[in-house]
Amino acid sequence: MEKVASLIIIIGTFLWLFSVLALEGRWQWQMFSGLVLTIGIFLAHFWEELRDTDNTDNTEE
Amino acid sequence: MARERVSQADEWQAWAQRYDIEGGIRTFESGLTVKVFVGALFVGLLMMPGSIYLSYVSGESGAGAAPWVAVILFTELARRSFTTARRQELYMLLGLTGAAVGSGLQYRNFIWYAYFINTPQAASYEIADKIPEWIVPAGDSVGVLTRSLLHPDWFLPIAIYLVGKLLGTLRFVSGQYILFRLTADLERLPYPMAPISAQGATALAETTGKEETWRWRVFSIGSMAGLIWGFLYIGVPSLTGVMMSQPIQILKIPWIDFTQSIEGFAPTGVFALRTDFGQMLIGFVMPFPVIMAEFLTAMASQFIVNPQILYRYEILHQWSPGLDVRGVGLFNGLDFWISYGMGKNFSLAIVGMAASIPMLFKLRKTQKAAGERGSFATPPNRGDFPIWLMGLMWLVGMGGFIWLIHWMVPNFPLSFLLGYAFLYTPINSYVTARTFGVLGRDLFEIPYLHEITFILSRYEEVDIWFAPLPDEDYGRGTQSWRVLELTGTTFTSNLAGTLLIMPILLVSGIVVLHFIWQIAPIPSAQYPFAQMMWPINATNECLWKTSLRDGNSQMLQAIRGDYVAAGLTSSIAIYGMLWVFKLPSMWFYGIIGGIGADPGSMVARLLGAVIGRFYMIKRFGLRRWYMFNPVLAAGFACGVGLIGMGTVAIALVSKAVIVKPF
Repeated sequence: MEKVASLIIIIGTFLWLFSVLALEGRWQWQMFSGLVLTIGIFLAHFWEELRDTDNTDNTEE
Repeated sequence: MARERVSQADEWQAWAQRYDIEGGIRTFESGLTVKVFVGALFVGLLMMPGSIYLSYVSGESGAGAAPWVAVILFTELARRSFTTARRQELYMLLGLTGAAVGSGLQYRNFIWYAYFINTPQAASYEIADKIPEWIVPAGDSVGVLTRSLLHPDWFLPIAIYLVGKLLGTLRFVSGQYILFRLTADLERLPYPMAPISAQGATALAETTGKEETWRWRVFSIGSMAGLIWGFLYIGVPSLTGVMMSQPIQILKIPWIDFTQSIEGFAPTGVFALRTDFGQMLIGFVMPFPVIMAEFLTAMASQFIVNPQILYRYEILHQWSPGLDVRGVGLFNGLDFWISYGMGKNFSLAIVGMAASIPMLFKLRKTQKAAGERGSFATPPNRGDFPIWLMGLMWLVGMGGFIWLIHWMVPNFPLSFLLGYAFLYTPINSYVTARTFGVLGRDLFEIPYLHEITFILSRYEEVDIWFAPLPDEDYGRGTQSWRVLELTGTTFTSNLAGTLLIMPILLVSGIVVLHFIWQIAPIPSAQYPFAQMMWPINATNECLWKTSLRDGNSQMLQAIRGDYVAAGLTSSIAIYGMLWVFKLPSMWFYGIIGGIGADPGSMVARLLGAVIGRFYMIKRFGLRRWYMFNPVLAAGFACGVGLIGMGTVAIALVSKAVIVKPF
């Protein structure tokens, strides 16, 4: 999950750079890359929290 | 070797523990006693008339130092009575005295609009006859002409104000509390500025005990430094201003502008060195990564991004050589940074939600003890309230407020009010609570929000400019709940004190302001600051309130969607890349604070942070230094406040004396 989140964030960042450098910074493309990044960041934090829960559960056992 | 990932929550938890100098959960006691209540009322009401008077005479109310004066007076009385004062009592005294001193100024809008309605500016801009009666009675009414706030003409504006105050208390108490639970209990944000207030009260409380501890010594060092700095920075210009036509400034206030010096190699860059070196104390207290990232980003903004990218590609196109920091800042803002900043600020909301929503999901899975991150459990005896009750209070307060506004401006679209209340206000408050939790200050601000709303609503009446709108911010107040926790003061006692003192202050405030208005018209020669500033303010207010009449506002035209999108997406990308490379999220808040900012305004803070990090921590050790620095900062604030009040008092006396020519 960590790698998937990282990949989505990297894709979103490149998409944003591409939208600024090649697509004249049109807000629609920028916002689309923002959406991709947001999904990646949410995924990253969900993974962080769930990872902690799994670790805690294992430790308690 | 691969860097180990530290989750954001763990990172915050570590910082929160660093600022929580007494190790987290503590015993809680009530701070509300009869002597505190009477003491706050006595000092507050004694100083309130002076505070109102000073604000009209000099523009400074001097209210900031009053609570400290009350606390020092209180501790001295306690020492001489061979009794002790608890820190809970002293913190409560600070809050209640501050409320009492400021209570007169809560009605200042009545005096302002009583003046404004009869100004030639209001008449020439055709506003005077359109000012609603719930703001001020008619310009030719007896209540305005005889300068009497107790006249029945003022009944409606005062009644509206009181209803608004009641509903506002419901909303703000509940809104702040819910956000405090979310950011301090659940997320464990560190609130780095909260220990300053907490440690000031604690240090002074210890002076009434049998043994003086390190706190009093550190507080005294801070106070003396504050007195000396306050004298040099505020005292000398104020006192020489009384005696000379041109006051002497040892350090130029508020900054030394180097913007024109750097324009040769960094056109469109700004650098104005802020001379308030009291900011060093903030650098001591704030997390080092935040201060460092903020400064480096600001430097990069002004020396690389502005001149080499934005200016080169003609995005910053209004700049011309020879402008000072204000001119460059204004044009850069209009060309790019206002729009970018709006997007940047929204990113804080997204990042905050991304960090906190998973925690809420996790709450269902695990039950954690109070004081642990990810736990909603409350420490025992803190005096907490049920969340559902607070939610209900907020809904009642907000519902009533919207009804009131709808009654005031019935033709203004209700959907905008509901959008403000239930969408903008929660997001705005949550983001601000987070920035206070990490940076100790506000970052989230959407410029010209009201103007944008009025344009989108197609509402053309002037009365909407006078109505309050439900765009509120409870985030700022969450810090005071954290201070209550750090001082071990029960939440219930603080709420009880606030509610008990409120009716007294509501009545006394209006009576005192009535009598001050009776002394002489405001503005008039007796109130020089008001006489100088109010006519200019009246013109500005007319300009703003009529700015959308022809649908043509330069400020609104400056907001561009592609730049807003750039601000939002680039900020989220920065956060994402920091996460990918396993770097601390503290850096993100520093970078966001520094983008587009003037690095000159951060030099003092940086100096403080560097001295703290590379000298003080080595000298005293990490734990002791984090124990010392909030106390030092509290003492410093007290010293500067006392000097400020003293010099204003001297200036006031000198202005009251008429020198006769014989």
